[in-house]
Formats: sequence, C-alpha cells, structure tokens
Amino acid sequence: MDFLCGIRGRDFVMVCSDTSAVQSIVTMKQDEDKLVPVDSHRLFAISGEAGDRVNFSEYIIANVRLYALRNGSQLSTKAVANFTRSELATALRKSPYQTNLLMAGYDEGSGPALYWCDYLATLHHMNICGTGYGSYFVLSMWDKLWHPDLSQDEALELMRKAVAEVRARLVVAPPKYLVKVVDKDGIRTVAEL
Amino acid sequence: MARRYDSRTTIFSPEGRLYQVEYAMEAISNAGSCVGILAKDGVVLAAEKRITSKLLDTQAVGVRREKMYRLDDHIACAVAGITADANILVNTCRLQAQRYLFTYQEPMPVDQLVRSLCDTKQGYTQFGGLRPFGVSLLYAGWDKQRGFQLYQSDPSGNYGGWKATAIGANHQAATNVLQGDYKEDITLEEAIKLVIKVLSKTMDSTTLSPDKVELATLSRDEEAGKVLYRVYEPAELKPVLDAVNADMTKEKEKENK
Amino acid sequence: MMRISCPLIDGPATSAAQDACGLRELGVGGAPVDSFPLPAVQDIDSFEREVVEYVKPNHGTTTLGFIFQGGVIIAVDSRASQGSYISSQTVKKVIEINPYLLGTMAGGAADCQFWERNLGRQCRLYELANGKRITVRGASKLLANTMFSYRGMGLSMGTMVAGWDEAGPGLYYVDSDGQRTKGKLFSVGSGSLYAYGVLDEGYRWDLSVEEAVELGLRSIYHATFRDAASGGTVSVYHVTQEGWTKVRGEDVGELHFRFYPDPAKHPCNSVDPLAV
Repeated sequence: MDFLCGIRGRDFVMVCSDTSAVQSIVTMKQDEDKLVPVDSHRLFAISGEAGDRVNFSEYIIANVRLYALRNGSQLSTKAVANFTRSELATALRKSPYQTNLLMAGYDEGSGPALYWCDYLATLHHMNICGTGYGSYFVLSMWDKLWHPDLSQDEALELMRKAVAEVRARLVVAPPKYLVKVVDKDGIRTVAEL
Repeated sequence: MARRYDSRTTIFSPEGRLYQVEYAMEAISNAGSCVGILAKDGVVLAAEKRITSKLLDTQAVGVRREKMYRLDDHIACAVAGITADANILVNTCRLQAQRYLFTYQEPMPVDQLVRSLCDTKQGYTQFGGLRPFGVSLLYAGWDKQRGFQLYQSDPSGNYGGWKATAIGANHQAATNVLQGDYKEDITLEEAIKLVIKVLSKTMDSTTLSPDKVELATLSRDEEAGKVLYRVYEPAELKPVLDAVNADMTKEKEKENK
Repeated sequence: MMRISCPLIDGPATSAAQDACGLRELGVGGAPVDSFPLPAVQDIDSFEREVVEYVKPNHGTTTLGFIFQGGVIIAVDSRASQGSYISSQTVKKVIEINPYLLGTMAGGAADCQFWERNLGRQCRLYELANGKRITVRGASKLLANTMFSYRGMGLSMGTMVAGWDEAGPGLYYVDSDGQRTKGKLFSVGSGSLYAYGVLDEGYRWDLSVEEAVELGLRSIYHATFRDAASGGTVSVYHVTQEGWTKVRGEDVGELHFRFYPDPAKHPCNSVDPLAV
C-alpha cells in the first residue's frame, strides 16, 4: 500500500515515501525510489498504478527540462505543480493516469512549497499532506504537532513518529521508508527508516 | 532582375534576399512612428497618430487607441505598420499569454511572449502562399525574472531587447536622437520627456498636440506588487506635451541667439 | 405491398422457444424487431467482457528469473490452460529475442507471443540501425512503452526481460499495466507465490552455476506441485557474457519422483499417529 507524506517547514520541505514495488499481493522490490527529482530544487513523490506512475512522472519531468532548455530559466514550483495539474486534467477525460502525487520544491524568493495533487487533478498548496491509508494516521498527528517554525530536525522527528505509527497501526504497512529534504541547497536524502 | 524573385515570399533572390519581407519592412518605414524607452522604474511607449481630421470621432474604437495595445496584465505593445495585420498579431499574443497563464498559473515571461509571436511572424516568411505581416512592434513588459523590459520585432521575425528604440517613419532619425540623449538610469519621468522630444523631432509637425500623439507607460506599484499600465488621456497628455513644446522653443531661441 | 412472412420480424414472439432466455420477463428486448436472443443478464457489456476473459487461452504459469554471481537464471514451466482445461503441456514460455536476450511469458498466451515477437523485431531493427546490440534496459523499455500505449485495452501479460549487455547481467519485470522494474530476483504467474517461497529460501548471490540451475528447477517444480495451473516440463536457461544457453528441460512428474522417491514421506502426506 503506497504511503507518501510531506511537511513544509520554515525554509525546507521534507517528504517521505515507502520503497515497496508491489504487484497484487506480492512485493516485487524493497528499494524502489518513489521520490524522483524534477530538477535541482524540485521533486515528485508519486504513488498509484505502477505503469502510470513512472510514465506520467517521466513525461512531466521531460517537459519541465524542455522548458528550461528552451527558455533558459527554470519553472517555479508553483508553475510545475500547475502544469502537472493541467496535464492530469487534460488526460482525465481521455486516458486517465491513476496517480496521486506530492510535489516539493524550494524557490529563491518564495521559499519552500509543498503541493498535493490527486488523480482527479485536484491541486492544493499544503503545510502537511499525505496519500494512502497510512496518511490517515499521520495527518491527525501532524495537525497536532506541526507549527510554522518547524526546523529540519523537528520535521525528521515528525517523520519518525509518522512511520512508527503507520508500522504500528496499518495492516499492510510497508517495511521500508525513505526521507528526502528540499531546501536552498537542493535535494538530499536525510534518512532511511 | 528583382521582378522575377519578389512575387513569392518563400523564394530567395540570387543575391540571397527575400524581397517580400524587405518590402514589408519598407511599408513600415512609411507608417506612423513609435518610440520606446526603458527606464529604471518603468517603460514608456509613444506613438504618432496619422489619422487626424476634425470629422473623426475621437472616442470611437480604433481611433481613440490607434497603436497601443495591452497584451496581458504585465505586457503592452505599440505597433507600426498595417493596423489590420497588427490586430491579428495582438490577438495571437493575447491568446498565448492567456494559454501560458492557464497552464502554469503564472504570468508569461515577456521574452517568451515576444519569441512566440516572432515564431509566428517567421512562419509567414517561409511557407508558400502567405504574405508576411506588415507590422513592427515595440513590447513593454515586466516579469519577475528580468524586471522591466523593452523589445522590438520586425516582419521577418527578428527581435531584440533595447534600452531605447524606434520603429516606423524616420526611425533612423529618432534612433539618432535617442543615442544622443539617452542616459543610463533614466527615470520614467525623464523618459516621458525624452520620448516626446524624439517624436517632435521626427514628426512633420513642429508642435505636438494630443490628437497626434499616443503615450503609454508601464510601471509598478511595489507595495501592491502590481504592474500599472497607463495610457494618457488627451487631458493628461496636454500638460506633458506643452512642457516639452515650451522647452523646445526655448532651445530654439537659444540656438538662434 | 409485398411482405415476407417472418415471425421474428413481424410480431412479438409468442412461443416459449422464441423466448428461451426468459428475456421478456427481464424486460430485455423491447421492440419486436430486437428479438435477437440476448444473454439474460443485467449488464451485457461487462458480462461479455467477462466471458471473453474466460475463453482466452491463459498461461496459468510459473516463471522466474534471478541474477547471481554466475549470470542470470531463467526457469519456466510449460502448461497452458483455459479455465480448468489444460490446453497444452508443451508450451514454450521463453522467447529467445536474440542470442543475448530472453523474454518470459505469463498471462494471455497470444498477447505474450505476439508482443514479445514484436519486441524481437524492434530489437533487431535497433541492431541494424545502430550497429550494436540493444541493452536489456532499452529492450525492456521498448516493451514497457508498447504495453503502456495499450493500457486499459485488455492486454494481459507479465514478463521478464533478461539478458547480458555491456553493463553486465540485466533483469527487468514488465507487465501489461505498463509497470517496469529492474531487479535481481522476480517470479511471475499464478504459481509465482509458491516459487518465491522456495526461491527466497535458497537464493544467495554466490550460488554456483549448478546450484543456481538446481534452485530454478526446484522452485518451478514446487510451484507446479501446488499450483494446478502450472505443470508440464521445467525449462531452465542460463545467461552469461557469451549469451544464453538452455541447460535443462525436465518433466515435472519425473522430477517429483526424483526429489521424493518415497511418496509417503512427502510433506503433504501426513499420517495421524492417533488414527486407528
């Protein structure tokens, strides 16, 4: 069961995803990285049907890179998020992609941004968000614990608590999780839980 | 010789020229002129109005604003050449700007809008059976990547960014004046005066009146974070023109002495 | 006016034989002209789709592949079934794309055969165009792209693309959802769960080639023992730098008696010590 979650902190965004690749009831892989970089300061966390997940993200990433080459400037996180949404919305009535995604980014000037987008192309700017059954446990916890001044250490602690809760409560909890952070220095892996 | 190669836009002459495109540019050299200046706190566009008659309804669409068009919240343009062609291009620009906004929920960067229009213009110099647009444009805009910008484009699809430039009749003379009088770090206020001075030197009539000139500025309200586009109404334009006219007469008197 | 007498067209069918499906009772049919006998179901569309799936020849299958120190092992069974009917015991479930690439087949028999041959064609064209062999990565992406472009249109296949290229051994799982994952160890098909049980238990990176072949063989054998839709013979392929070789092809019945000469001692035959 896919699990994604994200936190927007003071000057960074932290996202966490499980690393399981699943086919029906079988785990095919334990080290799938579902946190894919879009460019130096933006990343997608994608869940959903396996083929759609990879194809859709590859398509968006290729277009974002094409934009950067054509125009000599990178799209902002907001622009990428809205572009993704519009592509998803266009596809929705033709051949829909079954993908939910989080998008984390850091922009010079506007700071950290975290977007949540579901397969129906609903887009929201969020402070905390998640997808999958695991997120039900986590969102309430973070509603209580989140504050706008969150530091990276505090956010990592929230991630640990979230993963512990998912492990304890979710019947189909994935075994391994990956945490990445996006800030002014770019994208880094900060923990494997 | 030229006769054999100038009937088709898509055929090079033996000297490597595209006559139809050059003729289109020639058409613009006879059109009412436009001048643009990039100041540190804004951009100013001014244009010469050619159609003057006391029978003209100055408030009617197409007469009140002859050459100035707003392309988006943050971009405006002035056109020189065939107005009918310009209307098509302006429409294309507006469509592109709104498409970009629709996709990205962000205003279109000015350079991208200029390039997208020039791609369209270029297409008309290459595909058979088409005639190039007989229009040059000056674009004034602001975006968060590059701040205030001034661009110019011609019928061939060439474009470039300028600190100050002119298109239309006597553009060479106008450019010469601009080259003499333009200073780095010019303010919008100074730029307005300069642009009118340039017009008065290049236009046939010696004294300027509001029915012969269009003036627009693009600046920014830093507090609200909004781009302001202002087209001067005749009543607002009059004192500005009068001030410049007065300066000019003073200068002339000096010269005469 | 001339008329052709035709009871089906002329008026509502009156005899019971003309309403064999009990359509009228269900309100199916409507106007008399539509008295084509239709299946007596609520939703014709989904019923039809279901039936087509049922008649499709499927590989109830076990296939597996893994990378180890000595290269790649691919092992498959050879049974084809249509529902509860075993339609063949001698299906070739490994397609030899080129001397360095293999594809396995699970799911719809026709889909697998057609699209993997199509993959073979694409790989050959790649070779002709570029003067070098396609990588495993590239070949699997070609197949995944094809699968993705037909997604939701009813294709059914789960395959592994295995081989050797300049990067060394390669193994990818590709299916009709468009999923494509790189890995060291996969099993696909209805018997894959059983195969995983044996495979995971016996797998080590430093397996010798003989051990690895034996592991592949046994994993398939055990899967065929438990999974009714898998059976026939076990084929084992070994891929190295020099390309693939077929190392084994053994009947699972014979394997059964080789592994368990005394059927009474087989774990599935327990004897209640308290039974009289």
